[in-house]
Amino acid sequence: MSGQGSYNLPVGPFHPLLEEAEFFKLRVEGETVVGIEFETGWMHRGIERICEQKTFDQVLFTVERICGICSTSHPFACVNALEDIEKIEIPPRARYIRTLIGELERIHSHLLWLGLAGHFIGYDTLWMWAWKYREPVLELMELISGNRNHYAMMRVGGVRRDVPAEVLPVIREKLSPVQKKVEMIAAAAADDPVLKSRLQGVGVLSREAAVDYGAVGPTARASGVDIDVRRDEPTAAYGEVEFKVIVRENGDVYDKLVVRVLEILESIKIVEQVTEKLKTTPGPYYYDIKEIPPGEGIGRYEAPRGEVFHHIRTDGSNRPVRHKIRAPSYVNIPTYAASCLNLPLADVLITTAAVDPCYCCTERSLVIVDGHDRRLSVDLLALSREKTERLKKDSDKEGVLW
Amino acid sequence: MSYEEFLTRFREKILSYRQNGNRLYFEIRKDDIREIARFLFAELGCRLSTSTATEVYDGFEVQHHFSDDREGRYFSPLVRLCREEPEMDSIAPVTKAAAWIEREIHDLFGIVFQGHPDLQPLLKEDNEGVVGYPLRHERKE
Repeated sequence: MSGQGSYNLPVGPFHPLLEEAEFFKLRVEGETVVGIEFETGWMHRGIERICEQKTFDQVLFTVERICGICSTSHPFACVNALEDIEKIEIPPRARYIRTLIGELERIHSHLLWLGLAGHFIGYDTLWMWAWKYREPVLELMELISGNRNHYAMMRVGGVRRDVPAEVLPVIREKLSPVQKKVEMIAAAAADDPVLKSRLQGVGVLSREAAVDYGAVGPTARASGVDIDVRRDEPTAAYGEVEFKVIVRENGDVYDKLVVRVLEILESIKIVEQVTEKLKTTPGPYYYDIKEIPPGEGIGRYEAPRGEVFHHIRTDGSNRPVRHKIRAPSYVNIPTYAASCLNLPLADVLITTAAVDPCYCCTERSLVIVDGHDRRLSVDLLALSREKTERLKKDSDKEGVLW
Repeated sequence: MSYEEFLTRFREKILSYRQNGNRLYFEIRKDDIREIARFLFAELGCRLSTSTATEVYDGFEVQHHFSDDREGRYFSPLVRLCREEPEMDSIAPVTKAAAWIEREIHDLFGIVFQGHPDLQPLLKEDNEGVVGYPLRHERKE
């Protein structure tokens, strides 16, 4: 980590673009990263302790507020944990509704990431398009739950709200243009020489490192680790729908992009299947569960960023004795120690963004300091965008954008 | 390897166990944790999801949750620690996935993980406003 000619580059305590607290200390030699350290705790809210003071019903609203983007993933994993204690069954209609909400969330979360990633590397058209096509998904969420995020749909024994029959045709109506545009983006990504030279071979996370760090979600799947909670331990309706788990082998930023774009298309497929099932599945959308028995349960859900893990211990009262929560970014962020090594500075921003870090869930920040502990000011975003501009100029297909 | 085969193989090390569907919760002595963790990670190919520390009336309990993704099930070894000397072996040398969570447990509960490569505070670092161990229930003086 130390040596003549190397210096520390502090990045943070606010991310240049994601506007949340994060702090990395990059050790650099010239323009090359030779070490990385993290500081966390900037936004720690003590939610595990807060949950011990809430009733089970209140806990679901509390964990929903861990993250604004994947705000249904935490309650989803939490109800799975509570239902795991004594294997509580839920009605078929509730299973489909849970799956529907989970997949709509994945679509809008991946589109959000796609837009940010585009902006990081200077593809602002992609940024605006991706966020434009995210909008209909949020409108659907509002139609179903009344909110653009924090949907409050999960409850032990089912869901809190039904999806009315008149909403079902609107789901297809709104998602079908999104599907076409995502297909277009996928085709453009496969075709764009600048994008490939900008992202291929950048920020590589080897399969061994991904396994060792316990990486999850698209971060692991882009490195050839074939895991997905939806398939490996199906809850809700995941055992009844058909979808592919997208796995790529190279572990670079390009593969993480491809995994997410293709996952959006798989999610749209799942949404279509459960929408059809909802048309023909009447019945209650929850069973009234009065008590949670003493014991312990593990619940997890494949959030857009990977496995969300909840472990709850109960004593027969109306609140948890211990509620352990592990968000996916908690295991994905330490992989920077492997993926950022030996990278030029201009590639650090997109590499740290490629795991789609969720600061609310894990919280942290990034700094660059020199050998005499002087803090240096480096605009990582400008560096990253300049590199893309250089590549565009060098490219034969100058000016070809999405 | 089925749960039965696992329980048979380690019958001398497992003090008690409870199976609930595809979850196996079992208690082991604290000296055996690294051997069990190594077996689960390296031989069964399990992934450490995370670890839970809980304060109980006479000390602490630490559970590591190993996810067997191919079978969709969990192995959760539990170690009991006394209040006076809350120390156990770190499993960070076995899998790097344990590095952060052990630092966090050390930070919030004051449990020492021996053999951890870098057991500095994870959340409380540079925060003088946080005294003691925030997740312990004992009243702070």
